[in-house]
Amino acid sequence: MWNNKLKRVIRSLTSLSKILKRFAAQFQVGLLSLCLVSFVGIAQEEQSLSPVPENSNPSYPIDNAEGWLKKLSEAVQTLNYSISLVVLKPGVDSQPYLWRHGIDTRGVEMEQLNLLNGPGREIVRVGNKVSYFEPNVPPYSLRSQTINGPFPSELLYNPEQLFDGYEFVLVGRSRISGRSAQQLRVISKDKSRFGLNLWLDQETGLILKMNMVNLEGQLIEQIQVTGIHVSDSPDPFFAKIEQDMLPDILELPNSASNPPRWDITNLPMGMHIVKQDIHRLPMTGDVVDYILLSDGLVDVSIYLQPLPSLNAPQDIIGRHESNTILTRQVGEVSVTVVGKVPAATADAILKSIQVLRKR
Amino acid sequence: MSQKFENLSALIDGENTQFDMQGNDTIAAIKDDKELQAKWHSYHLVRYGLRKELPNQLQFDIAANVALALESEPAILAPRKTWRDAPVISAVIPFVKQGGQMAIAASVAVAMIIGVQQYNQSDVEQPFNSAAPILGIPGGLSPVSFEQTSTVPQNDMVEQKRRINAYIADHQQQMQLKSVELNPISDVEQQVEKSDSQSNVVEQNP
Repeated sequence: MWNNKLKRVIRSLTSLSKILKRFAAQFQVGLLSLCLVSFVGIAQEEQSLSPVPENSNPSYPIDNAEGWLKKLSEAVQTLNYSISLVVLKPGVDSQPYLWRHGIDTRGVEMEQLNLLNGPGREIVRVGNKVSYFEPNVPPYSLRSQTINGPFPSELLYNPEQLFDGYEFVLVGRSRISGRSAQQLRVISKDKSRFGLNLWLDQETGLILKMNMVNLEGQLIEQIQVTGIHVSDSPDPFFAKIEQDMLPDILELPNSASNPPRWDITNLPMGMHIVKQDIHRLPMTGDVVDYILLSDGLVDVSIYLQPLPSLNAPQDIIGRHESNTILTRQVGEVSVTVVGKVPAATADAILKSIQVLRKR
Repeated sequence: MSQKFENLSALIDGENTQFDMQGNDTIAAIKDDKELQAKWHSYHLVRYGLRKELPNQLQFDIAANVALALESEPAILAPRKTWRDAPVISAVIPFVKQGGQMAIAASVAVAMIIGVQQYNQSDVEQPFNSAAPILGIPGGLSPVSFEQTSTVPQNDMVEQKRRINAYIADHQQQMQLKSVELNPISDVEQQVEKSDSQSNVVEQNP
């Protein structure tokens, strides 16, 4: 009798502990998934492989990647559009932009890129005059055909420039921002740079989404268009711009053509030297030897500086947003490579630098 | 024969329109048919190849490797009964363990929240300010404070960080200026080495 009672008590205890256990497990799973979500964040793109239902779109028949890029480039330069997009980078808050483009009655291209969060930043382009309106700086203009926005300008304006270093592969169709989209994959031919996944609007050819992925296919950076509006006439905003009121163009001097004092022997395929000069770093005032490399999609900066008299380690590798930063001591100079390239590539570039003559 | 390959191909391409009626049949068929399994495998491989999605290292037969690993695994024998196996205690111990794990998970979550708060601080202003020195005083900032701090070893790491930040800021600025067409009349360019290219900014009024 007593024995039976004890048994029942034990049984009820066991079942209670089971319930508690299950509750605890659920709670734990919830917490863990919270952690995971905050860790991974947007790191996982959802690659939908499900086919988009066939629609009778007349603009579909382009069946090669070059055709799509041409379509993109034409659309970006000739259509009147207004695009909302969000830029997502690791370790940084999301950055929403408004990007508008229009052709006025005289055929002049007008473009606006506006950062919508925080104190804001607005860039307006009228023809080849790009005006910057930024907090803490008086407005100024520069002479340029393009706004350097979140999308690489070479991709939008001169995609054929990229064919040297990259391969474009037509992948498939899917649905992005509520529109049917054509996916393209951009891969560096020598596998030395990050790849891109592009989704272009089937109807207009405008860009809907761009993912930058590392060589393992993991997401590094993402630009997602959230709204797109194409119209026959330019946005009324452009009519309000008083072109005479835009700040004057700053004339930047052509940097001195000093004979290069150093040489890079190992450039990734399609990459070339854009600029080579000596200038001061704006933040510290240090004088550096500088080289800017570009393949159209990514820019890589190289800095040479005499070794600082610091006890801190000289060889550093780091990551800032999606930039790789690599500093190494080469002889008596400290060489730093900054850019959105894999660390191995940054290292290969850095190691191939040869100092031709000293200062 | 060819019909079953056809079905498989359609299934993989997502073109199996009668999925409910036929798809399950096809899947069932794949389960039973070694030949179809091989085809399934190669079709996917071909697709990855065409889409340039092949990983750097191809490790094809994971299932076989797992099976092999399982084979070589020592068999687990039933452990001897101990006091921990008594009815109440055995039920309570896992709960205590769970509690411990829960505490760890909770503390990780707290750490994450702190981390996220720190990370999410708006960086938006930082790169924008970097564009300022275009207009700035020729020669940029005074390097005096730099010289002073560098003598103190504790500040070396801070200094290192500052240098890296300077590089990043300059990189952003250089990218912005990349597409700028330079003044075609680049006249007196007597730029001595060590002079600052930005100090020669000339404003021209139209």
